Amino acid sequence: MKSLQHPRRLSSAVALFGVCALLVTGCTRDTGTTGGGTEGGAAAASPGITDTTVSLGISSPLSGATAGPGTCSVAGLNSYLEAKNAAGGFAFGDGKTRQVTLTYLDDAYDPAKAVANFRQLVNQGMFAYVGALGTPTNAAVMPIANQQEVPQVLLMAGAGEFSADQAANPWTSGFVPTYSTEGAAFGKLLVDANQPITVATLAQNDDYGSGYLDGFTAAIEGSQVRVVDSATYEPTDTSVDGQVTQLAASGADVLLSAVSVTPLQVGVLTKAQSLGWKPRVFLPSNTSTPATVLQPGGAAAYPDVYTPAFAKTPASPAFANDPDVQEYTKAFEQYGTSITKTYTPHCAWSYAEGAVLGEAFATMEEPTRESFMTALRGISGFTAPLLLPGITIDTTKEDQAAVSSVNLVRYNGTGYEPVQGY
Amino acid sequence: MPAFLTAGRLRAAAVAVVAVVLVLLPLVSSPYVNYQVTTMAVFAVALLGLNVVMGYAGQVSLGQSAFVGIGAYVAGYGTLNGWPVLLSFVVACLLPAVVGMLVALAAARLRGLALAMVTIALPIVGTPVAKRLSDVTGGSQGLTVSWLEPPSWVALADDQWRYYVVVLIALGVFLLTRNLVRGRVGRSFAIVRDNEAVALSMGISPYRTKVLAFTLASTIGGASGFLYLAVVQYTSPETLSFGTSINLVVAMVIGGTGSLVGAVLGAVYYVLVPVLAGQLDASRTALLSGAVLLLVLFVLPGGLVSLPRRVHQLLTARRRRSATTPPGAPDGQAGTPALTSDGVAP
Repeated sequence: MKSLQHPRRLSSAVALFGVCALLVTGCTRDTGTTGGGTEGGAAAASPGITDTTVSLGISSPLSGATAGPGTCSVAGLNSYLEAKNAAGGFAFGDGKTRQVTLTYLDDAYDPAKAVANFRQLVNQGMFAYVGALGTPTNAAVMPIANQQEVPQVLLMAGAGEFSADQAANPWTSGFVPTYSTEGAAFGKLLVDANQPITVATLAQNDDYGSGYLDGFTAAIEGSQVRVVDSATYEPTDTSVDGQVTQLAASGADVLLSAVSVTPLQVGVLTKAQSLGWKPRVFLPSNTSTPATVLQPGGAAAYPDVYTPAFAKTPASPAFANDPDVQEYTKAFEQYGTSITKTYTPHCAWSYAEGAVLGEAFATMEEPTRESFMTALRGISGFTAPLLLPGITIDTTKEDQAAVSSVNLVRYNGTGYEPVQGY
Repeated sequence: MPAFLTAGRLRAAAVAVVAVVLVLLPLVSSPYVNYQVTTMAVFAVALLGLNVVMGYAGQVSLGQSAFVGIGAYVAGYGTLNGWPVLLSFVVACLLPAVVGMLVALAAARLRGLALAMVTIALPIVGTPVAKRLSDVTGGSQGLTVSWLEPPSWVALADDQWRYYVVVLIALGVFLLTRNLVRGRVGRSFAIVRDNEAVALSMGISPYRTKVLAFTLASTIGGASGFLYLAVVQYTSPETLSFGTSINLVVAMVIGGTGSLVGAVLGAVYYVLVPVLAGQLDASRTALLSGAVLLLVLFVLPGGLVSLPRRVHQLLTARRRRSATTPPGAPDGQAGTPALTSDGVAP
């Protein structure tokens, strides 16, 4: 009996696999033909764009450790696009008005899943891939996007590689300022103070940390600002107390804390003050949210906490009467809150990104991906909603992201306010 | 059951159908489907390696992603430095094998939870090491490659060519592993899994057998890493992450431990469920995947591989009540309950 049972089970299971495989083929080919149908609408048009619609896609981490920023990178964008759709749609450079649909998928910060999602979106007839969050996931998609000539634009990733080489990757562009842009902005603030300042640095031991340090080091070169001690940590570390204790011994005036992990950044703020070391602190833009980092970390104890910013914080009382913020809040409550439960700055950033897309649509003369890229690369001096005064979108710079400058803001105990020098 | 439907003919017919489907699939489906099926083949190999050590030899390993990652990095490094593909493949298998053996030489002295802890260390140490060795690994930005394009004499697209290469290598690995686990080595694995004292009394060294199982698992993991790079064309420290290891263990249990077919079904689950969950509601993929996991484990504790047997049992229970083996009886090949007690407890 046994000798009979095994082969039968094996064959049935194998057959089951075959059926599954066929099922997948069947399902997806259906959607594939739908995508082809849209294509047939206008002969010269790229896939995913008709006379009345254009479909965009995004794959971000919607589950797992990076879910907060990941869901916000979708929610803000969706809010802008849907609000604009509800108001009639986007006016395009070819004289037509189109509704924009956004399809979003979860990659859980896994590069293989991001590639699968990208291919799925292309298969479903996506016109352009926009605003995806994550360095490894976008790095995995980049070669495929450029090979297939699908726009992979306005990425929510601060690594320099997405904006550095436009000749090699003409279909890829970044949105948020690169890490080194942020580091350089802080270096400049210290240099402008024109006095001897000592700095201690704590940086994540990868290109995230080195991006900040490179920008900072380049900015303070030849000035009176001196780095007296530095330490690194691994993103997988559960505590940075040792590093903070080491840096505290230097008694530096300023701490540059290029830490990307929220609990660790809280640990930096609590540990340094428990040692009696209260330098002025510089935090990166993605770990400087008052509610999740500064208040738990007791940041009010420090003479000054700076962070780079390029967008308004919608929750801040300072912007309560700002028309941009009011419009954002209205759209977000309607179209964003179902996607994310937590606020990170990425919600506001991706909202502004939606406006940049609108600006590109307005100047794109043909319904093609080439025309879209040309339009997107030609935006300069554009004031997107929610951007801080003085910050504009400039996509014409060869080696910079769409937002290539930042303002520094200072923590005042409840929110952020503009900095008036060191 | 009609007389012509003997088990042998059914099996031959099923194998033929699968073979035809596997050959024709890439020619008629979209690049996306080819990518997904190829990814299934990649993870089927990774799960196969995990199955060798956990399913057949009964030792807990939570570090399989580290070997997949090493294999992928070796393949990536080889490609970027112009190694022949064959050399990349051999080194992508050998280096994880050596690492796996070195760890196993120390770890195989431990049992149960202590052993599990040692294997957890691999991805946890591996991820930061991969970030630090940025000259070789490209740091946290990873390695992007562009290789395994079809030779000029083959009229196939990239995705079709990669599909055939990957599926062929995967079939080869499965065939070799099948012969291995059904032979002397497989029997020694089973004895060590079930009772180390008995193994010892029969002249089988549990220690050597465990080291062998770990080494084999890491070799196969390395091979799957090579295939991973062939499909994804990119690798980063995320590939080694502990989360991937856990997901692989989950997929193996879902597919069915100690079973070759289980490894394939586990891979189908690993790739397909997130996609289906994403189509239902992209904001709640983790929740939906968790629900599916619970459902499968409740309905089919033996994994997906036990589904045909369960159906078969239900269909034939009435007719052959006296002849059938008791449900769930181990037959030494497949369908043994997930995580046998000696697999987790000393």
